[in-house]
Amino acid sequence: MKGMAKLIRRCVGILSVSTFLILALNVCLFVAISMRQTANVGPWTTAKETAQELRKEEDGYVLSRKMEMELASEHAWAIYIDNETLKVKWHTKELPQTVPMSYTASEIAQLTRGYIDGYPTYTGGTEDGLMVLGYPKDRYWKHMTPSWDYDFIKNVPGTFLFVLGINIAAISLIYLVTNTKFLKSITPIAQAIEKLPSGEAIEISQRGLLAGLAAKINQTAQILQAQQRELRRREMARANWISGVSHDIRTPLSMVMGYAGQLAVNPLLSELERERADIICQQSIKIKNLINDLNLASKLEYHMQPFCEEAVSLCAIVRQSAADFINSDPEGNYKIELEIADNPEVYRVRGDKRLLARAIYNLLDNSRTHNPQGCCIQIDIQKEAEACIITVEDDGVGISEDKLNKLRHTSHYMMDDTGIEEPRHGLGLLIVQQIAAVHNGTVFFDCGKYGGFKVQIKIPL
Amino acid sequence: MFSSQLKNRRILLVDDEQALLDMAESILKEAGFENIKTAATIREAVEITKSFLPELAVLDVMLPDGNGFTLYEKLRTFTDIPVLFLTAFGEDADRIRGLELGADDYMVKPFLGKELVLRIRMILKRYYREEDPLVQLAGCEIDFARAEIIKGKERLSLTAKEYNILQALYRNEGRIVTIDQLCEAAWGENPYGYENSLMAHIRRIREKIEINPSKPVSLVTVKGLGYKLTVRRD
Repeated sequence: MKGMAKLIRRCVGILSVSTFLILALNVCLFVAISMRQTANVGPWTTAKETAQELRKEEDGYVLSRKMEMELASEHAWAIYIDNETLKVKWHTKELPQTVPMSYTASEIAQLTRGYIDGYPTYTGGTEDGLMVLGYPKDRYWKHMTPSWDYDFIKNVPGTFLFVLGINIAAISLIYLVTNTKFLKSITPIAQAIEKLPSGEAIEISQRGLLAGLAAKINQTAQILQAQQRELRRREMARANWISGVSHDIRTPLSMVMGYAGQLAVNPLLSELERERADIICQQSIKIKNLINDLNLASKLEYHMQPFCEEAVSLCAIVRQSAADFINSDPEGNYKIELEIADNPEVYRVRGDKRLLARAIYNLLDNSRTHNPQGCCIQIDIQKEAEACIITVEDDGVGISEDKLNKLRHTSHYMMDDTGIEEPRHGLGLLIVQQIAAVHNGTVFFDCGKYGGFKVQIKIPL
Repeated sequence: MFSSQLKNRRILLVDDEQALLDMAESILKEAGFENIKTAATIREAVEITKSFLPELAVLDVMLPDGNGFTLYEKLRTFTDIPVLFLTAFGEDADRIRGLELGADDYMVKPFLGKELVLRIRMILKRYYREEDPLVQLAGCEIDFARAEIIKGKERLSLTAKEYNILQALYRNEGRIVTIDQLCEAAWGENPYGYENSLMAHIRRIREKIEINPSKPVSLVTVKGLGYKLTVRRD
């Protein structure tokens, strides 16, 4: 909703600036047009000039040719009223019939302000008389009572600002009233758009100004929801399929392992046959571990693995995994050295005990897989800022730079849509990464200082 | 390989797969168990339990007329024999459900025959321990029934904590038992901060069971991890 507030502020700002600009523009235009009007010779000026251009000669009054032509072009007529007799002493040729030939003082006052028989009239005085110009009836409109109060003129700046303020307030009010409805319509739409990426269910009202847009957003949300459901359904189906296969394969594999185990120790068989039976048994154990890993990895990948969170001691978990590992190594080919930097109580985190134990066991098992001749494994637990770091490092065959880079930067085939032509690492380390991820932790692979392989798991406290 | 008492224990195997029943029976017979009966349904299992009176039952979870957990509850209405679940359901939730019901162990298929035999032996020894002979160590014998150490002609009593620690070690004989597991055995759940106390108890146990407590041979330390009890088998 921060965006909405910003949008409203921006709109109000633009509106205010626009109002000022329009008013300024109007003032400029008004001034420009007025000046043009002033520059143009108006009817009053023409009347004054006509009065000056009328000359008294022996046989009467004569108007200059130039002025005659100008009046003709304006379709105007003119009369000259004598000051003493108040009678028309001269007039142009085209004088309307209805124009009187003599006037009273009040009629002269009237024609000066306004009209003679509907013709707008303008006057220009001389020493002897008054020149009156009459224009066609539809040429000018005259304001009959042009008078201004001095107080009004004195207060013009204040009045102007007051009117300006009222104008701005009125425009703002109109804007707010007309846009309230728009804002009411747009607010739920903006909220819905903000919610869209989270995948939440959205159902906004499809009424008001933006009903069409609201309908489209509802439709989009429904499509996204349907896609998510379908994706989830597919993930569930895939995980369930793996789980189902791993379940169904267990009983037949039990038979293979059981009978192979019996044959491997059957004294009636030859040494070679017993060895072969033992190989079947060992390979069956590998298949068993593989299906267990596959099942767990798919459940972790699709968030179907129950996460039993509790306060756990990382030291206890590491010790248990190490003990289980040594207990499963009756030949004693692997030696574990455990280094705990502080009081074991310091290393308490919230997490799933079984998953964390599985992660540590997988790392130990990884050392065993790559060092079948045996090796020494060092486990180190340290606290750093707000996290616990478990380092498992062996002195075995180690890892090449090339493989290390692939391990760090290439995703596992289980979560990759590219081809699987290139061999990738097994499920064991993937499970370690997944378990660290569900604990909001990270895993870092490196070459160990003893030439072997080193893995660090960082779990936040 | 083991005592005639154990060999004669009556064992009931329940699974819906006849082939698996045959295989498990042959493994147990090869290991020396002589009294074995099998059942493929809950109804059959209940009938055999009433007539055969098994001393241990190995139950599958998925059965044609119900599940193994239901069978367990039915059996519990008239017998308290130890039960081992042997099933293809390997999820933690299933495992926890089985153990919470009160089963003595939970094994997930596929399994090695050797492991099945070892687990059955372990349960039988634990459950029928009053008949178990004295536990032989390098320098003494442990009489768990009396909570005593027999060292020559001398009988040394075990305290409750020492008894629990030794029990935990004996149940996992030959295997490392972590410091945390031993603390839990002695002080119950969430036994944090008892490591020093555990060391003191271990020292006292060694004084009772070892010929030379400074150079222990029966109760050895596995540095940083825990302890291991080595039992003498003649």
